[in-house]
Amino acid sequence: MGKPRKEPIKNPKLWIVFVILLALLTPWYFPGSFDDMFIFGMPLWAISIIVVSILLSAFLSYVIKNHWMIEEEKEEMDEKGVK
Amino acid sequence: MDLAFSGWSGILILAVYGAIMLGVGLFTYLRNRNIHESLDEYYLGGRGLGVTVLFFTFFATQYSGNTVVGYPPSAYRQGFEYLVSVPFFIMIIMAYLLFAPRLYSIGKKYKLVTPAQWLEKRFKSKAVTILASLLMLYGLGNYLLEQFVAIGQGVSGLTGGTIPYQLGVIFFVIIMLVYGWLGGMRSVAYTDTMQGFALLFGVFMLLIGSIVYFGGVPTSTDYMQAYSPEKLGIPDAPGVRNWLSLLLLIGIGAAVYPHAIQRIFSAKSEKTLKRSFSRMAWMPFVTAGIVFLIGIIGINAFPGLSTGESEQLVGKMASSIASQNALFYWAMIFLFGGVIAAIVSTADSILLTFSSIISNDLYGHYINPEASDRKKLLVGKLVGVAAVAILILIAWFPPGTLYQIFVLKFELLIQISPGFILGLYWNRLNTKTVFAGMLAGTIVASVMTIMDLSLLNIASGLWGLLLNLSICVVGSLVMSVTEAEETESREVIGM
Repeated sequence: MGKPRKEPIKNPKLWIVFVILLALLTPWYFPGSFDDMFIFGMPLWAISIIVVSILLSAFLSYVIKNHWMIEEEKEEMDEKGVK
Repeated sequence: MDLAFSGWSGILILAVYGAIMLGVGLFTYLRNRNIHESLDEYYLGGRGLGVTVLFFTFFATQYSGNTVVGYPPSAYRQGFEYLVSVPFFIMIIMAYLLFAPRLYSIGKKYKLVTPAQWLEKRFKSKAVTILASLLMLYGLGNYLLEQFVAIGQGVSGLTGGTIPYQLGVIFFVIIMLVYGWLGGMRSVAYTDTMQGFALLFGVFMLLIGSIVYFGGVPTSTDYMQAYSPEKLGIPDAPGVRNWLSLLLLIGIGAAVYPHAIQRIFSAKSEKTLKRSFSRMAWMPFVTAGIVFLIGIIGINAFPGLSTGESEQLVGKMASSIASQNALFYWAMIFLFGGVIAAIVSTADSILLTFSSIISNDLYGHYINPEASDRKKLLVGKLVGVAAVAILILIAWFPPGTLYQIFVLKFELLIQISPGFILGLYWNRLNTKTVFAGMLAGTIVASVMTIMDLSLLNIASGLWGLLLNLSICVVGSLVMSVTEAEETESREVIGM
């Protein structure tokens, strides 16, 4: 027997992370002092949003690779069976 | 867009792109003679798309020529607040995770061809299937119309008016119809790949040119600090609400685009689909991110443009860059050829899905279920051609700015999502409430959009969706579902 079947929607932990990332992706929490800070010519708040965006993409890649497994194993078995 | 720099070289590049697309169509036709006998083969490429082709065909549904031509002006006008365009494209992939894993599995099991076919399988209700099909046809039609307008403007701009708007539209629409007719999904996906490469290359060159000739982002930031500090600031409360509503609206909305859903069915395997999504999760940085930076650089390069003038921003920047040297000249020609090719590639995907809804759901299910696949295909293709002819006539009178129509179609298409997604998981979801929710959501979203009503700065499509979702959930909790219905749903979902 192989790995158990996994579906992202059935794993609440993943969605807690997504909600936290979504909250951090929305610029509501920056103190006013961030207005005058710049890195590489970009406002600091914008840099923060970009960093969170990168985290979201990385987390998505992780979830897709490791927490989505419904047909894959069966399909691989079928393929081997055919060959 | 007026590109004074081009002319005959613009015509040349368009002719080359056109010839390649036709070549792809012919090649696919000769390689796959049997595709006109089967809906699966024609509309889904025989469910056999590999990672690269599947990736580029998803890419083409999300990024169009509008992303390149229409987004920099928004960044120009709004400043850093428009940075939201990067995460909202990432949100689309997150929205896919809500339903794509299960939908792929179910699509494979029932050999689904269209999104409405899932609704039919799940709810067995003529009212739900037909309403959803009509909403999709309307939304897709609107979307297709927008692409035609953009093709016409693009061609006439790129050739400096040598080729008039109308001729540009006709030329590319005919090419699109021919290769689409010949090769179906395979042609569409292969041309998407070619078009995607052209667009990515062109956008990179535009960014490099902008940095070299106009100074990079820091120069532009200095300019904004001095003259328009509001474009640098942290968004205020209404700005934040608008930001969040864009993340949600576009995330869910673009993921449930009918042609995007259909691509899930065309994947060769789950692994292929997963790899394509993984790559898509990173694309916003090199697409939306780059066009955002171009818009920001534009603030310094062409200061003080009015809203109307700023719509021409990309053309103005490309003209300046092209006049610098031969390398950039050809790169800019290549870019605008790529922009037009990308619009064509978005249009062909929409048209294919449009035809499939006719073939499979309306004609093939209700009007003449006994017809052979060959006949269903022919009807779908012919109705598609007729719809294109009507839309071209409407395209002679192009509507206002691009952004508004962009939101309008989202608002209708998004109303399908509650029934579609909840139906995948919830056995007790009641068919009548799905219909009522979809209808009420559509009415609210349309009325709010048409009357230009705004509530809390949140998009009207989201209000419609909220009402739609509430009716589905509350209605299903209140109304009873018989034991038999629930068991049946459980069997259909089968997970």
